[in-house]
Amino acid sequence: MKLKLALICSLMLMVGCHMPSPPPTPDPDAELIEKGRQIFFNETFEGNGRTCGSCHPAENNFAIDPAFIASLPDDDPLFVAEFNPDLKENFENPRLMREFGLILENLDGFDDLANKFTLRGVPHTLGLPNSIDSAQGPRTGWSGDGSPGDGTLRSFAIGAVIQHFTKTLNRVAGVDFRLPTDDELDALEAFQFSLGRQEELTLPLSLKGTVAKRGQEIFNSLTLGKCFACHFNAGANGAPAIFGANAGNLNFNTGVEDLPDQPQDLTGELVPPDDGFGVPGDGTFNTPSLIEAADTGPFFHNNSIETIEGSVAFYNGDAFNNSPAGQLLQQATGSGINLDGTQVVEVAAFLRVINALENIRQSIELLEPVAQKWHQTVEQGKRLIDRAAAETEDSIAVLSGGGLNPEALKHLKEALRLTEKAQGSFFSKSRYAREAIQQQEKARDQLVETS
Amino acid sequence: MFKHLTIIGIICFLMMGAFSVYAEKSTELYIPIGQSPGLSGKYTVMGKIDQINPQNQTIKMSGASGSYTVKMTKNTSIYLDRSKAQLSNIYGTLADCKGGDLVEVKFEDNSHSKPIEWIKVQKSQ
Repeated sequence: MKLKLALICSLMLMVGCHMPSPPPTPDPDAELIEKGRQIFFNETFEGNGRTCGSCHPAENNFAIDPAFIASLPDDDPLFVAEFNPDLKENFENPRLMREFGLILENLDGFDDLANKFTLRGVPHTLGLPNSIDSAQGPRTGWSGDGSPGDGTLRSFAIGAVIQHFTKTLNRVAGVDFRLPTDDELDALEAFQFSLGRQEELTLPLSLKGTVAKRGQEIFNSLTLGKCFACHFNAGANGAPAIFGANAGNLNFNTGVEDLPDQPQDLTGELVPPDDGFGVPGDGTFNTPSLIEAADTGPFFHNNSIETIEGSVAFYNGDAFNNSPAGQLLQQATGSGINLDGTQVVEVAAFLRVINALENIRQSIELLEPVAQKWHQTVEQGKRLIDRAAAETEDSIAVLSGGGLNPEALKHLKEALRLTEKAQGSFFSKSRYAREAIQQQEKARDQLVETS
Repeated sequence: MFKHLTIIGIICFLMMGAFSVYAEKSTELYIPIGQSPGLSGKYTVMGKIDQINPQNQTIKMSGASGSYTVKMTKNTSIYLDRSKAQLSNIYGTLADCKGGDLVEVKFEDNSHSKPIEWIKVQKSQ
């Protein structure tokens, strides 16, 4: 018995003897970002119960889709139109929200609520430092004009509270909600800018997978995919060689609204055309980043296409090739986009792999503070591990969904198992996190040459 | 080929409303006077209405930053701010603007030389 006790004590000491390395230089904005996080997920602004996190949950890449929506309880504030009589009419379309993840917005004015609205998907809030700047100012939301006032990300919450948080359709500030204060806007902005990727990719990557490698070539080809023109380095900005050095994020009319048989139109529900940027709209929508695309579908402003392969194939169709953007591309390059089935899958495979690489990067970044015992509280540690697990689940889903790289998948599954062990462990969190990071790194090595 | 693409790209860039202001307008209706984020106190002007000229579609107003005669166009939005009375804000017309009303205006340009994009008029009912 004594021997057993001694053995257990020695083991516990060994576990506890891992000396954490000193934490990196603290982020000067850490306090503001943490305050922003608290507001983002907890503050209802005295409205109908929704928070920013209602539509931008951390565990689902800061966006919602029908599968995530189906996992919520019926009394979740997202469904407020289903149980608050004051919001029963003209606030949301519950059927289209549940079936297609669509949210109602009165972007062209509040003077005819029954007929004048748009239904849009929820864009994620990852990588915003790289995706909303343009030569003319920030572009937020699906049409680039999603933020009131000066149009900055800082101002975004004001419009969101008025549109989505109100208790009644009177939308009286101080009665139906309160507007965020300047301090809250600062904190929310800092938090949102801290999410996801802080740097652009530099293509081409030295990808190892044959299919994804070919996909990258097609993506960057001036004669085949031509994708790079608007998604330079697979991000959200126009190619500098084409649009100028500081073009940044751009708006285009790519004809998504002209797609036939859009799922939401098939329901018979009223779905007014979405005219995009401005009032009245000019039919343009802004360019999203593709690095985070594969695990944040459905795609396009109206969630009209469910899969990443379908969204690549969209650019082969008449809707795009007859659109203003498609026509200009034809004039510029002498042809439209006409990829064959194999090529569509190859481009999609490339997008799946770069998404998985970003998932891996984020997982490591989230696990590192746990592995090194830098996290401040138990709750913070739990939050980091939960998000790392969610990122790892995503990387597994995007690779397996495309039948890609079984060796990398093997390591990612092991990383997930270890991350889940870290979730449940009291004494060995740090060790499991370190081992999970090692597996993430092995998975990355299977996907891309790392120097 | 690339030069051709560049020229088309730039044309496309200009055609896509590149020089428009990227802000959402519709929720401005419900933002009370003086609280428009990033605009109030920086790019807007507040004051009281001194005189209204319906024929010229102009309003003479004065406030802490001086006197202005502001020009309205068919594109100018008129918002009646009733939030102090805890009533819903509504769209208005020039006829709703009265001498002595507290107003906030946003010009189409930051040098205040162009017509106004919107005017908010404080109303008690």
